[in-house]
Amino acid sequence: MIGRSEFYIKWLLYGAATFLMLLLQGFLLQYLRVFGVMPFLYPALAAVLSMYEGAFGGTVYSLVLGVLCDLTLPGPIPCFYTLVFPAAGLCAGLLSKSWLPAGLPCALAVSVVAFALTGSFHALLLAVSGKAAWAAAASTALRETGATLLFVPVVFLLFRKVYRKCHIDD
Amino acid sequence: MKNFLKQHGLWVLFAVAVIAVALAVMSLFSTTSSPLMNLAGIVTSPFRAAYTAVANWFNEKQDYFADVQALREENQALKNQIASMEEDLRQAKSDSEENQRFRKLMNLREKKRDLGDLEPAHILEHSSTNWTSSLTLNQGTEHDVEINDCVITEEGYLVGVVSAVGLNWCTVLTLIDTDTSLGAQVFRTEDIGLAEGDFSLMGQGLLKLSHLPAGTELLGGDLVVTSGLGGYYPSGLVIGSVKEVRLDDSGATQYAVLEPSARFDELVEVFVVKSFEIVS
Repeated sequence: MIGRSEFYIKWLLYGAATFLMLLLQGFLLQYLRVFGVMPFLYPALAAVLSMYEGAFGGTVYSLVLGVLCDLTLPGPIPCFYTLVFPAAGLCAGLLSKSWLPAGLPCALAVSVVAFALTGSFHALLLAVSGKAAWAAAASTALRETGATLLFVPVVFLLFRKVYRKCHIDD
Repeated sequence: MKNFLKQHGLWVLFAVAVIAVALAVMSLFSTTSSPLMNLAGIVTSPFRAAYTAVANWFNEKQDYFADVQALREENQALKNQIASMEEDLRQAKSDSEENQRFRKLMNLREKKRDLGDLEPAHILEHSSTNWTSSLTLNQGTEHDVEINDCVITEEGYLVGVVSAVGLNWCTVLTLIDTDTSLGAQVFRTEDIGLAEGDFSLMGQGLLKLSHLPAGTELLGGDLVVTSGLGGYYPSGLVIGSVKEVRLDDSGATQYAVLEPSARFDELVEVFVVKSFEIVS
């Protein structure tokens, strides 16, 4: 259990780590093409942090991240990431608690779940708007997941460092 | 899972629902972007400019060391193309003069399109997700850019349409994005259709020309331009050329796959058409 000031410092550090990852996404990853797509870190950020902070903390962080993404990224509907990221965070938090302990394998697994949710929601919205393209959507989702998993270890190491720094006594 | 839902789940779900509805309502009732989105765009603009500046610097260094032989061959091909286009231009001038004489004979007034006010804009960011094809420009409402303004290259090729605008930024959905659709016309046959993005074609940098009249006969390379019907967009802006003609899933109707004339990944500067006039 951590005190109030440690609580604020912890989330400040997570915020700073998130900002670093956003810079990585903006300066490097969006210009890279791996398997024909760009690595897209945002769902992995929601999933990996939720793996460490559990269902509640992870869901709230994912909600905030989702709102930020909706404000700065184009999406099929105005609240796309606000809806899908909390779901991804919740799943990641629950999976790490009950199925696989927090670590690199879990980080990779929960990231895959986050991308599955995001890709499925994208495909569903395309179908609902009369522009169904299930095969193309599945291909994009798979390639996006593969391209981003190469960088999930970076996210994992950074968030693990913050978690260990703030949970020394745990 | 049960404990989470019991203790916190309802509150979190409530928060998600409220925020989602608020974002949707703000987006629906605003002719520009909502205040939050506008603020987010203003805050991220310097970062986007920095990303693009760094990427352009690297690209310039890379291009500097490009193969000299390839450049020579491209130069020769372009010279040949210019010669051919000059010949076409001479023919077009002659045809135009003949057209003027006939108009005078038949007492017809000239119908022309005036693009009016063009605002130059630099591209801050290319597509930031794999599911959309968009550009972020450095002009916004402070320069009278509005939603649904067309964006063109310096050659007059259509790039896309403004979908969101803030104080000093705007987002342009390119022609190949799934949310783009506009009236189009095949230049050679004057057939009217609908040029729209398709997700399965977007990954290949292509778009679709559908709702063609029955019996339309298209050829590979046919030029497709905006039709201007409805007055939403100027007419005559080059969309692209026909790559192939396919049958849809039902097998009953055909559609054309178009290759856009604008090269979205290579664009650095574009022009926003803030106003246009059809003079008839």
